[in-house]
Formats: sequence, structure tokens, C-alpha cells
Amino acid sequence: MAGADSPSAALQRRDLCARGIRLAGKMRADVVNLLDAYAERQGLDASASVAAVEGVPPAAVERWDEQTATQRLLENLAAYRAFRALLAQMLEEHREQLGEADAALGRALAAVLLQVSAFAYHLEELLRLESRGAPGEEDEGEEEADGPPPQPRGLFEQKLRGLGVLRELAQWAVRSARDLRQLAKPSPASGSAPSLAESP
Amino acid sequence: QYERVGADVTMKCGSMDWDAAVTWTVNGTDINESHLNGSYLILKNVDLMQSGQYSCYEGSSWHLKYQTYLRVGTPPKEPVLMCRSNNYPKGFYCSWHLPTPTYIPNSFNISVIHGTKEMVCEKDAVPKNRCHIRYLQLFSTVKYKVTLTVTNALGKNFTTLTFDEFAIVKPDPPESVVAKPVPNNPRRLEVSWQNPSSWPDPESFPLKFFLRYRPLILDQWQHVELSDGTSHTITDAYAGKEYIIQVAAKDNDIGTWSDWSVAVHATPWTEEPKHLTTEAQITETTSASTSSFMAPPTTKICDKGAMVGSGAVAVCWTAGLVVAAYSVLFI
Repeated sequence: MAGADSPSAALQRRDLCARGIRLAGKMRADVVNLLDAYAERQGLDASASVAAVEGVPPAAVERWDEQTATQRLLENLAAYRAFRALLAQMLEEHREQLGEADAALGRALAAVLLQVSAFAYHLEELLRLESRGAPGEEDEGEEEADGPPPQPRGLFEQKLRGLGVLRELAQWAVRSARDLRQLAKPSPASGSAPSLAESP
Repeated sequence: QYERVGADVTMKCGSMDWDAAVTWTVNGTDINESHLNGSYLILKNVDLMQSGQYSCYEGSSWHLKYQTYLRVGTPPKEPVLMCRSNNYPKGFYCSWHLPTPTYIPNSFNISVIHGTKEMVCEKDAVPKNRCHIRYLQLFSTVKYKVTLTVTNALGKNFTTLTFDEFAIVKPDPPESVVAKPVPNNPRRLEVSWQNPSSWPDPESFPLKFFLRYRPLILDQWQHVELSDGTSHTITDAYAGKEYIIQVAAKDNDIGTWSDWSVAVHATPWTEEPKHLTTEAQITETTSASTSSFMAPPTTKICDKGAMVGSGAVAVCWTAGLVVAAYSVLFI
């Protein structure tokens, strides 16, 4: 893992983190706009409390400041892979229900899905940089890799679920930016960014 | 003994019979017999001024038969509660007050619930009407529910606040704001400041800033939003005019803007008049003509809408053209 701490790797890491922070910021802004549009379209209150949605990775974390770099990257990657599946499912449901009737919302959903995919790839790059390699999606278990198993859901339940997905994604976008800033910090011992070779 | 403002109060002289001869005093002063019904003291429609020590003495022996301290007050109105995180991500604090005084002692009880979990709000020694909570989780979508109950001898009241983790984040204003003229630059002012000391980790949770400035002679502010750094150079100041400058801060991603910092004053650099004493009149004439040329434009020329530029600094093009023309005049 010596390569992970080399000056060029440190610079690359910092650059990837900086780009990731910008991606996360843009993603959050788009998700927040989508959340408002989605809630309005579905006749829901965007600020209403929604119970935890099955299969949606919660952004909430205890002892966030104590997490290692590896933990941060792995948790982020698992989350965005899950969101990728969840958003794909939402998009499919949207097309089935509304078809072309609400193309704008469909396009916004697709755009966010693209950003989530891009961000997941970005995280994989960061993990690869540290010679850790990104875990295969099959290693993360069925629930996260494939999303929740498709079940017949009532329309209202689908709408609430969609609200929960987008709201949690918006939280993740904020958390990801913070995580990447932590990653980009120079390590006090080596003077470079914290090594991702640290064991959790 | 606590009684409401406006209540009618009847005091019995201990175990004395109704027809016993007694003397009542308040704070050592005899009370007129017109307030007595037999040995009972009747106070109608009490007001705050009637608070005091009431004593009843047996007629001839002056033995003290009864004593009470009457406190006239009101039950509490709905308290005003505010919660804020100025030290994110460490935690947040809640503070409260009553909209009107009750004039009698009150006790406050606060409960903080996050989902199903009850959190401890540790009361501050000073000020007394404040407590703080440490975040156990970050990035949670579950709302916090804070309930404050105020109780006194005459009643109770409460209020509830529900909010998201992000919504209450509001840093303290930036500190140590300094504005200095730039030598040989009559239209520049260098402004610098520091992150509020209460913000624990500006590296991981960077702040962005909003700077506003105006000459004292004008009412309209100019604004500049800065996404990084803790300094900025104003380049479109009016020559020779004293400016007032303030800065506000906000977390880069969440929450609301801080209050404005303490205002600082500065005047851009001007040439020393004594260097031009022999040509003072010419200089003054020239200055007068440039002053008229430099007459303060309306803020439409240089307001936010006319700001152009990307990144951290916005540039006012119209002011830039004026500066260029001004420079040409003195070549």
C-alpha cells in the first residue's frame, strides 16, 4: 500500500476528492429540485415525516468523525449503488404510470440517476486509486446491489417510497461532500491525505 | 402564598375566631380596618404592589398568630423557544424566554426527542435559560422535537419546536473583520476576517461568506458572495469616501446565514494634500471636476444584477469602466 501515500497519489486523491465534492454539490442541488417537483406532482408535502423506507440506505451515522477513510468510501459506494437501483425502479414506475404525461419529471429523474451512477463510478475510482479496488456489487449482498425485491405496491405507497428515496439521497449528497473533504485533508503524520490503507 | 393578579384574596388569622380582635400588618405597616371582615383580611383585585409579608397579631397581646409572604403574579404565557446550531457538527443549543414576566419564580423543563430516542439537554450555568445537546447522529432525516414546559405556582404552559438537523445550522458572525485602504489605490479597500471561533471544523465544514459595503453617504449596500477564502478586495469604492463594511457566514451546504458581523469603517487611500500645497488650488479644482465625474452613480450601476464573474469574486463592469476612464484622466 506504499503507493497510496506517494505524492502523486496524494495529488490524485485530492483532485478526485475536489471533483467529487463538486459532483456531490451539483447532485444535491438537482435532487432537492427534483424532490420539490416530485412532491408537488405526487400531491405530497415535501417536508412531511416519512418512516424509514425499506432498502433505502440511511445517511444517518453515529460517530461520523471517527470513521476511517475506507469506511467512508465503502459506505458511500454501497449507498450510491443502492440509489442507482432505486432510482431506476422509480423511473420505471414513473414511465408505467404516467408515460409521456409528465416527461419533465421523467427527465429529471433520469438526470439524477445519471449523476448517481457517475458518482458511484467516481467513488470506485477513489477506491481503485488506493489499490483497494471497489468491491463487486455481488459482494455487497442482494439488498444493496439489486435494490429491494420487486413487490406489488399500492400507488400511494410508491409515492411515499419515492419521497423517502429522494430525501435520503439529498442527505447522502451532503454527507458525501463532507466525507470527501475529510478524505482530502492532509494526514498530520505523513503530511499527505489520510491513507485509505487504514484498517477500520 | 401565590395569587394571580386580579384575584380576591382572603387571609385567615391562623386559628383565631372570626370575631376575635386582631391587627393585620403588611411589611410591618398596619392595615386599615376597612380591609377586614371580622378577623379575616380581604384583599380585592390584588395587584403586584400588594406583594409582601402579611402578619396577623392577636388584639391585646400582640402575639403573632399568622404570617405569610404573599406573591402576586401571573401564570406563564406560552414560552418563546429557539434552537440553533452554531457549532455544527458538534451539537445545538436551545434557548427560551417568557414573552411577559410572571413576577413569581418559574421552572423550565425541556425534552428533546429524535425519533424514538430521548436526548439529554444539558443546562448551561450561564445563561440559565439555555441548554445544549450533542449530536449523536449526523445526516439524519428524522426530525428533532423539542418541547419546553414552564411551570409556576399559578399554572403551566408549553411550546414545541420540530426541525431538521440541517435547518437550524446558523454560524456566529465572522470575527476580527478588518478593512484597510490599499496604498496608491484610491478605489480599493482590503477586507479580511476570520471564521467564527465557535465553528469547530472549518476545514471539513467550510463556510462561505457574504460581504456588504456602502459609503456612509448612501443607503444602498453592495453585496459580494465569496465561496472560499477569508479576504476580499473591494475595487469599486468611491475615492475619499468613508465606507461601512460587514460580513456574514453560512455553511457551504446547509442552514442559514449568520447575523452580520460588527461593522467596520474604512476610507480608501487618497493622496496626501501636503504634497500638493503649492498647487492646492489646481488640485482642488481638478478634484472637484473628478468628483463631479465620479459622482456616486445609482446602485443600479453596480448592484448584484450587474455583477459579472465566476468563482469567488464578482466584478462590477460599470465601475471598472469608470475607473479606467478616471485613470486615463490622470495620465
